[in-house]
Amino acid sequence: MGSVALAVMIVSSIAAGLALVLVVADRFIANYGECTITINDERKLNVQGGKNVLSALTEEKLFIPSACGGRGTCGYCKVKATEGAGPILPTETPFLTPEEIEKNVRLSCQIKIRNDLKIEIPEELLAVREFEGVCAEITDLTYDTKLFHFELQDPPTIDFVPGQYIQLLCPKYKGNREEVYRAYSIASDPAENTTLDLVIRRAPNGICTTWCFEYLKAGDAVRFNGPYGEFRLSETDAPMVWVAGGSGMAPFVALLHQMRNENIARSTTYFFGGNKAKDMFFIDLMRQFEKDVPNFRFVPVVVAPDAGEQWDGERGLVTEALEREGGDLSGHEGYLCGSPGMIDASIKGLKQLGMTEERIFYDKFA
Amino acid sequence: MERMPQEKKLEYLLRSSKIVAAGFLGDDPRSPEQIIETDLTALMHLGYTVEQVAERMQELTVLAIPKLGNPVQASGRLQICSEDYKGEIICPWPHPVRLAKRVTTARRLDTAESIRWSDLNIHMIAEHGFFEGIGSAFRVEPAVLVRVIFEDFAGPV
Repeated sequence: MGSVALAVMIVSSIAAGLALVLVVADRFIANYGECTITINDERKLNVQGGKNVLSALTEEKLFIPSACGGRGTCGYCKVKATEGAGPILPTETPFLTPEEIEKNVRLSCQIKIRNDLKIEIPEELLAVREFEGVCAEITDLTYDTKLFHFELQDPPTIDFVPGQYIQLLCPKYKGNREEVYRAYSIASDPAENTTLDLVIRRAPNGICTTWCFEYLKAGDAVRFNGPYGEFRLSETDAPMVWVAGGSGMAPFVALLHQMRNENIARSTTYFFGGNKAKDMFFIDLMRQFEKDVPNFRFVPVVVAPDAGEQWDGERGLVTEALEREGGDLSGHEGYLCGSPGMIDASIKGLKQLGMTEERIFYDKFA
Repeated sequence: MERMPQEKKLEYLLRSSKIVAAGFLGDDPRSPEQIIETDLTALMHLGYTVEQVAERMQELTVLAIPKLGNPVQASGRLQICSEDYKGEIICPWPHPVRLAKRVTTARRLDTAESIRWSDLNIHMIAEHGFFEGIGSAFRVEPAVLVRVIFEDFAGPV
């Protein structure tokens, strides 16, 4: 028994030693020289070989969404690699569907640059920029939700489509030893493009929300990249039903600014839900939008106000209020932003009222 | 025995704050393998399997989800509340599992004892036998879990 264990240890040690030699050799001896990444058959980047595609693109200020910082554990940083990327690694296959493998989709963090290669990325990602700014003001909206107002410095302006989001860089702090990015919907007026507002609700043990709530102060530098996302108003005149809860309010604030700025008069009913009256915020802002935006109606809904809480509005789940409103919604469009549970329940409710699934657009807190 | 490179990589990731603030191991000096082994032994002494506890946690979570953050009675003695937060969370093990950031709290009305778990906790317990390290914010203590979620639990066998 002892000799078997010893043999296993020896073999394991030799294997580990050889692996170490390979890693060291690859890092310090292998020289891949300068390589060219051709993007969408248009743009060429000359980068030093040896690093991975995600890092190389980030260094060139081309941002591919990634939640794990390039460790190959989130599966978000997909690009289509048409030439020179080498074989798919075992670390990638769990994240790729057979169709994606067929189409040469790869995880950009797992492609090591050893030679020239060609990749394709969505055009909208080419418009993504990195921004530096200052956190100018932090406002309490509720006991667990805050409004963060950033003033941009470099570049000094941002162009975004209302409904889009940015990725905020959370720096290292006590308890967080690595930088990470987290996505937040933009809640500001696109016409005021020198500033940016985010509505952030604190998540238990959340890396970025802990930083935002405990460490970030007015006057501190902030960095983010964006804009990202397809959630936006359609180009139709269809009447709309909006449903949101909590920080799902954010994109709708931007959409309302857009509607006011562009005189969009589509009939819009916005159901905003919270569990208690203390969860509600931006009520005055929404009442002002009711005056400024033609055919806009705001319906705040509270499940069960605490004893002593003043609440004269609708009661129950936001989805119940939607169902009470009733009517034929077959010609309407639905826009939803909030928790997966709320989104799923809202989709079910909207479909029962006649809305077809292709007319429902949502940002599922992801 | 020499640890595999994958095990070392996993421990590095679990101790890092790449996925959750302060990582999954808290201030627990033990390796993930040691933590898992100890917790599985404790669970066995309590008379349950990871499949049983994960199934019950999932059952209670599913019961609470439609209430959108409001408490629901699972029984006369057990109250459940499930809240969603923005974003998704990934499993630190190298496989493609992404879950909603959902936190469920179970509270015994008769003893006032409570415990919380995330959807990721359910997955990690079911698939990896991992209850997180001591000191981690989402450590699920097997004994407390069993006492709270199984109303007929009568003590270790």
